[in-house]
Order: sequence, then structure tokens, then C-alpha cells
Amino acid sequence: MGTAIKEQACIPKKMRIKIKRADISKWGWAYLMVAPTMIGLFILNIWPIIQTIYFSFCSSGDFGKYEWMGTDNYARMAADVTLWQSTSNTFLFTILSVPLGVCLSLLAAQLLNTSIKGKTIYRTIYFLPIVSAPAAIAMVWKWLYNCDFGLINYILSFFGIDGPGWNTDPGYAMISIAVVAIWSSIGYNMIILLAGLQNIPKTYYEAAEIDGANPFRKYFSITLPLLSPTLFFVIIISVMGALKQFDLVYMMTGFKNPVITQTRTLVHYFYTQAFDISDKGYGSTIIVFLFIIIMFVTWLQFKGQRKWVHYN
Amino acid sequence: MKRKLIVFLVLAIALSTMAFAGGQQEAKSTEKGTTTISYAIWDRNQAPGMQAMIDRFEELNPDIKVSLEVSNWGEYWTKLEAATMGDVMPDVFWMHASRIRMYADNDKLMPVGDRVKTDPNMDYSNYPEGVVKIYEIDGVNYAIPKDFDTIGLCYNKKMFDVAGISYPDETWDWNKFLEAAKLLTDESKGVYGFAANASDQLGYYNFIYQNGGYVINAAKTKSGFDLPESIEAIQFYHDLIHKHHVSPTIEQMSDTKPGTMFASRKVAMYFVGSWLISGLAKNEVTREMADMAVLPRMVKSASIYNGLGNSIAASTEHPEEAWKFVKFLGTEEGNLIQGRSGAAIPAFKGTQEPWISCRTEFNVKVFVDMIDYGVPYPTSKTAPRWSSLQKETMIQILSGNVEVEEGCKKIAAEMNKLLVTE
Amino acid sequence: MNFQTMNIDKMKEENINKILVHIVLIIGAATMLIPFIWMILTSLKSFHEATSVPLTIFPKTLKFENYSSVMEALPFMYLYFNTLIMIAARIVCALVFSSMAGYAFARIKFPGSKILFSLVLVQMMVPSQIFLIPQYLIVLKLGWLDSIPALVVPGFVSAFGTFLLMQFFKALPAELEEAGVIEGCSQWQIYGRIMLPLAKSSLIALGIFTALFAWKELMWPLIVNMSLNKLTLAAGLACLVGQYEDITDFSVLMAGAFIAIWPMLLIFVIFQKKFVEGIALTGTKG
Repeated sequence: MGTAIKEQACIPKKMRIKIKRADISKWGWAYLMVAPTMIGLFILNIWPIIQTIYFSFCSSGDFGKYEWMGTDNYARMAADVTLWQSTSNTFLFTILSVPLGVCLSLLAAQLLNTSIKGKTIYRTIYFLPIVSAPAAIAMVWKWLYNCDFGLINYILSFFGIDGPGWNTDPGYAMISIAVVAIWSSIGYNMIILLAGLQNIPKTYYEAAEIDGANPFRKYFSITLPLLSPTLFFVIIISVMGALKQFDLVYMMTGFKNPVITQTRTLVHYFYTQAFDISDKGYGSTIIVFLFIIIMFVTWLQFKGQRKWVHYN
Repeated sequence: MKRKLIVFLVLAIALSTMAFAGGQQEAKSTEKGTTTISYAIWDRNQAPGMQAMIDRFEELNPDIKVSLEVSNWGEYWTKLEAATMGDVMPDVFWMHASRIRMYADNDKLMPVGDRVKTDPNMDYSNYPEGVVKIYEIDGVNYAIPKDFDTIGLCYNKKMFDVAGISYPDETWDWNKFLEAAKLLTDESKGVYGFAANASDQLGYYNFIYQNGGYVINAAKTKSGFDLPESIEAIQFYHDLIHKHHVSPTIEQMSDTKPGTMFASRKVAMYFVGSWLISGLAKNEVTREMADMAVLPRMVKSASIYNGLGNSIAASTEHPEEAWKFVKFLGTEEGNLIQGRSGAAIPAFKGTQEPWISCRTEFNVKVFVDMIDYGVPYPTSKTAPRWSSLQKETMIQILSGNVEVEEGCKKIAAEMNKLLVTE
Repeated sequence: MNFQTMNIDKMKEENINKILVHIVLIIGAATMLIPFIWMILTSLKSFHEATSVPLTIFPKTLKFENYSSVMEALPFMYLYFNTLIMIAARIVCALVFSSMAGYAFARIKFPGSKILFSLVLVQMMVPSQIFLIPQYLIVLKLGWLDSIPALVVPGFVSAFGTFLLMQFFKALPAELEEAGVIEGCSQWQIYGRIMLPLAKSSLIALGIFTALFAWKELMWPLIVNMSLNKLTLAAGLACLVGQYEDITDFSVLMAGAFIAIWPMLLIFVIFQKKFVEGIALTGTKG
């Protein structure tokens, strides 16, 4: 990180003054180059975020009539059992889906990075879920999970197991959703990790082999450290995605399912408040709350990265 | 090379600004002399029928064009609300009982009732009174009824034959219904007599009114969920699942919907809305095995009915053209076209015949007959809020997580809290 | 111990390892494939058969009518076309704007860069549902409702792309641009002549990810576009579910799902080598 800055510090003093003079034109270019992104980002994203933060301090009436009411929404949040349930569901989903998902992706990437036959075929198959539409994925899995006509319970019945209602049993519903999330994200994470693995120069391994390092040591002293920036990227993106989970719950649990109390995530709760009940003020408060959570978790990860992520 | 890159950059920035400045001039370019009005609806199954009405209208009024905008139910209201905030509502659109108050109270709708009064060709007595009343807020009418729907009992003829039970008819009360449901149930095979749907309109509301209870009083000031009659009805509905075991559990029905259970021969009876009949006619199994009857009665007969209305935006730039269109939709001719499309029961009195005759698969006449004792879908200004809370608690009651009486009282308390604010 | 036996031992060990790897990979592949196979098998069953107990794995008679009835229900040709156009437009936007911004953030030190970049990160942390209504109002004011351009709007800028390319540009050695500075190139030239060609593989990766994100977008098309023939495949599929709100005909739904996803699957299978190689090249010095 920050290699450019470090390099500049190494340049002799005389040259540094020169560069400073060039700074103005440099800055001009920089602003021009970020302009389209920043303008678009501001109109499409940042302004709505600012509005949302403002609305979180308001009570909402019909058709966008907002009335300032200070921190009432936040006070209401503290006493809202559903909100805390959704928060713990969101974390549960993240814990169920991210570590296992990343590990399996890493395993798949690792195995595909060996010299075996049929790599292309495996790779293709592992990627299939990520090129499928989410509605199609939810549809198939709902059908697989179905307790009357589902394939999973049918197969289990051969082993004498009376399978649960994967989608309707409070003990299993969240696990079932996490399984679909993992299933559909392995390929995506695997691409990135595989790229990272292939970028590790072979010379490192050759050197280690000469030193007589066993595979176990090779893995922990070469592969993991060198892969760590990629792994970090994957984890950051996965955690953010998991904390923002909505689609799968929306499509797989549905609103009439009693297990919704076990599977409702924060974004899903926001969606019900803002769009179903039309309470945009409180909905905004929920989102601000989630946003703070995500920021905090991401900050923690960035702080933690110093301990295990190696940039060369 | 440098020049090329600069051109590229300029283009990129131009594109970015164009994207936001562009299109504006494009807005509604109309042919000379013709006006285009928009008509927003939420049911794709009904789109062909609506288009047929539009075609006929355009034939009669060559200077007006109507563009049909179809959405799904959920997105429809999100969009309409956003469009109302942005003051760019569609000119004409469908209105629903659960939302009318919010739009009427904020003066977002044209009071079409005033026009009906002065128009010699229009008369509200042509439509079922209950549907007219849905859209009458404080004495002002904001819509012309488009259609109506009632709830009926759908049953599997084959399963009745096998069990040797006579088909349901208007003599059935709850006891007879329960008796039949018990005979039709074979829990070991996962076959049930009835599907107690966790739905208000397609489920427990009907039972509440049949038992003499109500969901909300006529003055819209008090919830009726804590009435003994209502609690008794919900208890009966709850017991179908948990005591008599003649219905699959709520969990099972959220995995496989009641309609799907019925079609897969796991359920012998369920409540169906008249707007769902086209789906039953389409399915290979239900087409052969299903038929319809009136709902069973208890203290009295009741079937929840609802009707959509065509409303005009108060802010429309073409009030005359929009009125002409809505008027046409409300005429006998318009309703006959709608009826022939088979998607919904037309509201205009005496135009239901084409609808009945185009559904030869089932005895759909019962849906038209039930309007005589139909109960309008209960609603009020804060209905979107309390109905959502109510549904959630009802799911907890029906899945056995909350005691019936406790849950009903909780619903009543929550409703009353919101009703005070109206 | 002579040299040969050692080699044979090693080869044996390697073979066992390879078999183990294959077994694990095959189990994984089966897990990945079963849902798709089940989708196809179900799509060929009649409703009656799909909802019969006990289940049948293979359809007794192939019911291709499911495909014709779903083709009637949805205008798939339009859906394919719209999806393609939307994806292409979003890729162009993402590549052009994100590469410029990503480069500037990574390689140019300018006042305010940290604040601006944090805004990019903020966008990624916020659930996209909160943008639905504000963006809908923008499209509505532009008069773009129910049109193909409306589908592109949220993908006009890509925070993810900016982040990804920033990471990539940052990893490039500083000597590259020093050479450019000494030659008297402007920042724009360094970006266009030196950096962008190096970023080719990252750009391909971003293109693929943009395509995947766009392809998966569900709510937005449903909100901005009303006509069925202005929707994307993912949204069209969601509408199909809505058409079966009472009786879910899984066979027809599976047929719809399969028609919707096979072109993407096919494109992927054909080009997968390019895809993966492109990505694998990303930042040769990670």
C-alpha cells in the first residue's frame, strides 16, 4: 500500500521541488479523471445516502412528507425486538456463509491450481452458479428443499432419514439459505483466488524445495502470505455482501413463512418497513444502523489486515 | 495519440453529462392533434383485456391514445408512490381498497364523483353499491368501479367422489364443512381436507364475518379483532390445523402454497379468489378435477369481496381526455369487453354473463351470486400499516407460537393505536 | 536406495494425491451440477408427475409443452436482447470511468483524494435498496421510464470497479511512471499509454464482474420498466413466478429458468478459458 508515496520520499530534494511544480497539472488531470465517477456517484448514490441519514431523524407521512423528530426513531430502535432479532440473524448469516464459503473457494482454487487433468471442466462447472440468474437459483433450490416433492428429502429417505422442512423449520431455514449463498458464490471467489495463486512466482516454491520445506510449511510460509492481499479482498467483499443480504431471504423465505423471524436480515426488515409498511423514516434508521455496523466491521478488518496481510 | 486520448476523455465526460441532461426534451412527444394518456395497472393476466378496451376506445376517439403500463403488485405501489412524490403520476390508474384513503386524503385523486353527478350517461347505481362505497371518502367519490372479486370454495371433485361425500353447496355450514374435511383427510399419506391459508382475504377474514364478528367497525375507529365472535372464528380456523388436523401446517403451506397443494392432490378444498380462476383453468390437473362452490356459513353467509376502481390523477394535464377514457371503461360496452377477456368480473350490473360463459370449466356463477351477501374488504387509512402487523401476528397464531386470544387482543390493540391517529 | 526407485515412489505418491484431488473435485462438481440437472429434469415433467409421491427422477414422458407455454408467457427474444444491451452499456461505462478514476486514485496524489475515495467505499457499504426510489425519480424526471437506457442508469458508475482497478494500479511498480515523467508525459498519457495497456487483464476481469452484477440485478428493472418486452431476463423470470401466484407450476418455472440461463451458460462455457486466463493475468505482480 502507498508505494507511490514511499517512492516519492526517496527522490532527492531537488527533484521533489520540480515535481511539486508539476503538481498543479497533475491535480488537474486527476480531477478530470475522477470527475465522471464522482459526479455520477454523487447524484446516484451519495445524495440518496445523505437524504437517508436525514430521514432517519424524521417521521414520515404520506408521499414524502417528512417531519423532524430528532432521535425518536433511534430510541424506538432500542426497544424493537424485531430489529435485534434481525441484527443477530444478519450476523448469523455472515458467520454461517463467509468463513465456510471462503474456505471452500480457497480449497477449490488450490486444487485447481495443481497439475491435474480436466481442470477446465471442473473450473467450468464450478463457475456455473455465478452465471445463473438469482431468480432461477432461488427457484431451483426452493424446489430441491421442498418437503413434499423435494429431491433432497427424497434422497435422504433412502437412508431412512425423515428430512426436515429445509425452508420452513426454524432450526434449518437460515442454514439452508446460507448453503445456497455459499453454493452460488464459490465460483466467484474462486476466480479471484485462483488468479492470486497463479500470480505467485514459481521461483519461491523452487527455493523452498531446495531448502527441503514440506508442503505444509510451503503453504503457510509462501502461499498464504503471498495470497493474503487477494484473500483480504475476497473476505472484505464477502462480508459486506453477507451483511447486506436480501435477495435470497426475499425469494426463498417469502412473507407468509413463519420462519421469517429466523431468517429476516436487516435489509429485509428495512424493505418491509420502507416499502410494505411505508414507514420510510424508521426504514432509514435501520439502514443507517446497518451502515454503521458495516463500517465498523470493515474498519476492524482493515485494522486487522496489518497482522496478516502482506503487500510486497 | 495524445489527441485521440483527449477526444476520448471529452467524449467520456460528454457522455456522462448527456446521460443526465439528454432525454428531457424527449418527454412525451405526441403526434399532432392527438393526446396520449397513460393507464397504469398491476395485473399482467388482465393486460390483454385492458388492451382490448383501449383499442375500442381509441377507435371511438381517434384523437386520444392510451399507453398501458403494467407492473407487478408490489412494484406498482412503490412506483405510484414515488411518482406521486415527484408529481408525475400516470393519468389514469387502478385503485385498491387498501390504498384509496391515503391517496384521497392527500388530494391526489380527481373527485370523479362530481362529474358522474352531472353526466347524464353515468350513474353509480349501475355498479354494486359496496364497490362504489369503497372509493367514497367523506362523501366524495374518487373512482369508477372496474370489477369486483369474491372468495369461493374450490374443491376436488375426484377426492369427494372417492370419499363418497356430496359436493359442497349453499346448505353447508362450518360443522358440515369440518365433517367433510375430516373424512377427506388422511394424515398418514399427507392428504388433508382443507388448506387453512395464512391469508386474510383468502382465509380468516371470511370466517370472522361468517361468525358475526368484524375486522374494523363501520366508523373505522375500532378494531373488531378482540370481539368474542372474531376470536371464536380465529380459534376455529386455528383448530383446523392444530386440533382437528384437517389442514397442513402453515410451515408446510409456505413451502408448497395452498393452490399448489390442491393441484398436487394433497388438499381437497381451499378458498380461491375469483381473480385466480384463470390459473386453475390453465393447470392440467385442476382443469379436470376442480370445481367451485359458495363458502360455508355459520351465523350468516359471508364472502369477502373487493373491487378495483379506475381513478384519475388530480394533477393530470389532460383531465378531459382522462375522464373520457375512464367513462368509457365504466360503460356497459367497456365492461362487456372486459368480461369477455375472462380475467375479472366486470362491475357493471348485468354484464357478468360473458364472464360466466367464458369460464365453462367451472361453476363460476357462484362468485357472481355471492356478491349479494358479500362483505367489503375491511380497510382504513392506516391499513397498509396495521394489515402488515396483523398478518405477521396471525402467522404466529396459526403456526401455534402465540395463543389465539392473546394474539387477537394484541392485533386489536395495535390496530386501535393506529386507528386513533387517522 | 537408487535414483529410480525413489522416482517411482514419488510418482506413486503423486498419483494417489491426484486421485484424491479428483475425488474431492468430483464431489464438488456434483454439488454444483445437481441443481441444474434437476432443473432440466423437472422442466420436462408434467405438473402431475412433478408433484407425485414417490418422486420420479427421470420424466416418464418428455413434456416439451412446458417450454412452449413459457415462451408464450414471456417474450424471451426481447429479454435476451435487452439483457445484452444493458450489460454491454454497463461494461463500457464501468471500464471507461472506473479505469480513469482508479488510476487517479492509485497513482496521483491530489488534495481530497482520500475523502473522494472514501465516498467510493461508502457506496459499497450501503445496501443498494436505498437507491431504488431516488434513482427511480431521476429516471422518471429524465422521461426514461420503460426504456432500455433506464436499465443502465445504476451501472453508470461502478464503485466496485473503481476499487478493483485502484487496487490493481497501486500494485504496479513505480518505475513505470517515473519513466513516463522523465519523458515528459502528462498524467493522461501515462494513464493511456503506459498503465491502461498493462491493465488489460484487470479490465477484462472488471468487465466480467460488471456483466455478472448487471445480469443478477432484479429489483431495478422491475421498478423502472413496465412492459414485459423492456425487461431483462432476471426480472422477466421474477414476473413469471408472479404469474403463478396461486398454483406454482414448477415444471413451467424450471423451463423458464432454463431458457433464461442457458445462453449465459453457453457463452461462459465457450469463452471460459479467455475469462479465466484474463483474470489470472490480473496484476502479474499481485
